[in-house]
Amino acid sequence: MNRWLNSHLQTLKQVVARWRQHLFSNLLISLTIAVTLALPVIVYLVLTSFSHLTSTIQSDSHISVFLSSSATPTTIDSIHNILTTKEMIAQFHFAPKAEALKQLMMDSNNSNIISTLPENPLPDAFFIEPKSLASEAIEQLKNELAQLDGVEAVQVDDAWLKRLSYLLTLGQKALLVLASLLGFALFMVIGNTIRMQILTQQEEIEVSQLIGATHRFIRRPFLYAGAIYGFVGALFALIISTAVIALFNLSISALATAYQSDFSLRLPSLEVTLITCLTAIGIGLFSAYFAVAKSLFKSIQ
Amino acid sequence: MIVLDNVTKRYPGSQDVLSNASLQIEQGEMVYVTGHSGAGKSTLLKLIAAIERPSNGTVLINQQNVSKLRESALPYIRRKFGLVFQDHKLLYDRSCFHNVALPLAINGITGADAAKRIRAALDKVGLLHKEKMMPITLSGGEQQRLAIARAVVSRPSILIADEPTGHLDQTYADDILSLFSAFQQVGVTVIIATHDALTTAKQPHKVLHLNQGRLSMPEVSV
Repeated sequence: MNRWLNSHLQTLKQVVARWRQHLFSNLLISLTIAVTLALPVIVYLVLTSFSHLTSTIQSDSHISVFLSSSATPTTIDSIHNILTTKEMIAQFHFAPKAEALKQLMMDSNNSNIISTLPENPLPDAFFIEPKSLASEAIEQLKNELAQLDGVEAVQVDDAWLKRLSYLLTLGQKALLVLASLLGFALFMVIGNTIRMQILTQQEEIEVSQLIGATHRFIRRPFLYAGAIYGFVGALFALIISTAVIALFNLSISALATAYQSDFSLRLPSLEVTLITCLTAIGIGLFSAYFAVAKSLFKSIQ
Repeated sequence: MIVLDNVTKRYPGSQDVLSNASLQIEQGEMVYVTGHSGAGKSTLLKLIAAIERPSNGTVLINQQNVSKLRESALPYIRRKFGLVFQDHKLLYDRSCFHNVALPLAINGITGADAAKRIRAALDKVGLLHKEKMMPITLSGGEQQRLAIARAVVSRPSILIADEPTGHLDQTYADDILSLFSAFQQVGVTVIIATHDALTTAKQPHKVLHLNQGRLSMPEVSV
């Protein structure tokens, strides 16, 4: 165990020493990796910021349930009770027709017209705020509500909700495609870099094999190198994306203030940082493994 | 003990490089493999050192059948040998010290323990004062001795050298051969391939002569 740990430590030392020997070119390679990684990270951050925005806007979205003019207070009570049991509903409030009329009368233009009417034309209504924006769930809720006794009409102002959720879905798909393509690019960049290293160390590999080095022994430093490229690249990527988001936020906060909102794009969280680093290290290891497997043991057999 | 039984080696698209070779080498023996260039000396050494597998026949090293071993077990067999290659195969990107450190690192020996053994090996070949120098600055004879230090640092029980005196003048060659004799005297099996006349060998030794891939009967000379 001690020996095993020691040999890993030695390899790490050796790889770090090599890294420092070619510090400048290694930093350039890491920056290339960083740019490749930063792009999906930025897109992800923008996307999550917007979906967070939609969840705060959600309080403005609602389903309006208009009751028939013949609805009695008992019917209204029973509808009220049913609504409290629905899990899909975040909150709701009841607007009696008298109150609605009062609100309408506050506008002096309307009050003239309304005063000519023989009776209050407005229905009693419930305004419901759903928990989820998913259009199928809302559609189902709407159908259930429409079948209740005393309900005249159910109106969902979900046109813009639908549009937004389609846009977000599209954005997520785009992110997935972007991340896969750039992940592949990363795989190639690290793989090629490792292959170059293997070429410069071909003699060492050959001699080591001849005097009894196992595959694992030969592969190990390259795996470390791949992981280090991934890790350093990920750190740079997080710095780049933080800088870009901060730059965007300067303009966005001005824009948001004009709309009386405190919206700003989110900076990388601990979770995003961890996932970015682990993914990059994983890709580094994976591509190094393949690079070594392809370049190895040509010298002997 | 090394036993070859009816061993044939053939590379794809070529004739037999070695045909029906049978031999037996006891522990602690000194063996010369002689023959012209292309007679199959290097191939024979590679077969013994488990670098190549035979096309036919059996190679036994300490009762282990090399041809039947899994690929992943071969490195461990190879570690029993100290190899001195025809072209040294020194690594020119590191100092003498670190060249000798390679076999120990492969065996998982590092640090102070390794340093002690590396210096002992360098001392044995007379290069202790040059441990920090790069191999490219050494003379041909010194490079050969460095290669020997690397071969013996992990204290192998079998030492194999392919043309170790090939490019050296007589004084250097004598030096190298007496080094090998010293190892044989402490119980190491020494196998040396050479194409020059062995005027300097003082110890009793076995000669395996190869002619176009055919092994003549081994003879013992003094």
